Amino acid sequence: MKGILLLSLFALSSMAAHAEYEQVNMTVFGMDCAPCAHAIHVSMTGIKGVNKVNVDLNTGLVTVQLTPGNSAAMQQFNQAVEKNGFTHKDAKVVVRGRISGTASSPVLEVTGTNDKYALVGNGANVASLIGKTVTVSGTLPQAPRGKVPDTLKYDSIAEAK
Amino acid sequence: MKHLAMLACLLALSAPAWASDHGPVFGYATPVNSQGEFSFDTGLFGRHGSLGTQFSTGSQIGYGLTPHLTFTAFVPAMFGSGSLPETRIYPGGEWAASASWRFFHSVTQVGKRLEATGTLGIVVPGPQTDSGVLGNLHRAPGIGSSLAAGVASRSHYFWVGGGYTWFPEADNTRRPSTTSWSTVYGYRPARLRRGYDQWDYRGLVEFTGEHTSPVRLQGMDVPNSTSTSMWLGPAILAIFKDVAIEGGVQGPVFRDVSESVYGRESIRFAINFSYLKYSSRTSTH
Repeated sequence: MKGILLLSLFALSSMAAHAEYEQVNMTVFGMDCAPCAHAIHVSMTGIKGVNKVNVDLNTGLVTVQLTPGNSAAMQQFNQAVEKNGFTHKDAKVVVRGRISGTASSPVLEVTGTNDKYALVGNGANVASLIGKTVTVSGTLPQAPRGKVPDTLKYDSIAEAK
Repeated sequence: MKHLAMLACLLALSAPAWASDHGPVFGYATPVNSQGEFSFDTGLFGRHGSLGTQFSTGSQIGYGLTPHLTFTAFVPAMFGSGSLPETRIYPGGEWAASASWRFFHSVTQVGKRLEATGTLGIVVPGPQTDSGVLGNLHRAPGIGSSLAAGVASRSHYFWVGGGYTWFPEADNTRRPSTTSWSTVYGYRPARLRRGYDQWDYRGLVEFTGEHTSPVRLQGMDVPNSTSTSMWLGPAILAIFKDVAIEGGVQGPVFRDVSESVYGRESIRFAINFSYLKYSSRTSTH
């Protein structure tokens, strides 16, 4: 019983510290018709951890919601677009990760993946968050084909609950 | 929905025209498969003239090796006994395999693409012989090529394209080499620019033309066996997620064809059913 309790506590603590994408909203250029959108939907849904996908053909907005505990990487979302012959532009993300680096050069590590971003933002007190797990809402700028951007321009950042 | 499903099953049994998934039914266009996507086309094509009616059916399978390179194979079947000019825009009795490379691809804004695609393939005689003057020819394999360029958007589509198919001389006979061209305009009205979970319709106007070289028999060109004709007509494409149904009809707008050799061809039509099997695979990190 004691062992189960310890295991449960460990699982809960690791869940709380898990770094992951919670939502990814990408603008995709080049989709003109229903099969284009369906292809994106199929590719995104095939990524492990994706819970819900919506594609708006008229705005090009692809909205991806992910399940807690996922380990999907940004490269997979980009690939889902590129393999269908389209181009992804900026992506707005809500992501949980750990802050490392220094006060002047903070880095967000999405530890469930290999993704790391230099945080660029509006002057929030990131220094006090170094070493902590945070939830960041921000924009990943467009990266060249096959690449993931190395900066994340955050709109809000707060210690994860 | 039930009727559409029945129509799809019927077409699948009867089988396609040369059209592929979400392009025009007659003319050349630029779309290729996604990476890992299989496309299956099956349909029915007909030509009617004063010397008979010819139908061809067939099935085409395509696979996207990369987002811009697609391989296709086409297996036809013919029935009817019309004496009609050679055509390469529409399926005849030859088996074909080709590779299409979308070598130019510019994505300029939401819903819009500029692109150009080249195709190179081989055309191999099938087990069926042609009817009319073409039925007497030794059927050597040929080489086909085409080039198409255009724009696709949420509202408008425009493609121009051309192709050339060459057959060598064999046993003192030669099948006509064919130069083909097409211009296609498509439009999707504003109220039909809907979500992808609804039927997606677009209307197309397709202008096509072909010139065929002389038929060669016993080492000599058959008199009056060249042909030039141009065709115009509407087509409609309906797509729901991964299935597409498309149909079109064309009438002649110009004919320079010997009526004694080929008769007077008066109508062409095609109906095509496609199924697109997309890949959900992405690499893991």
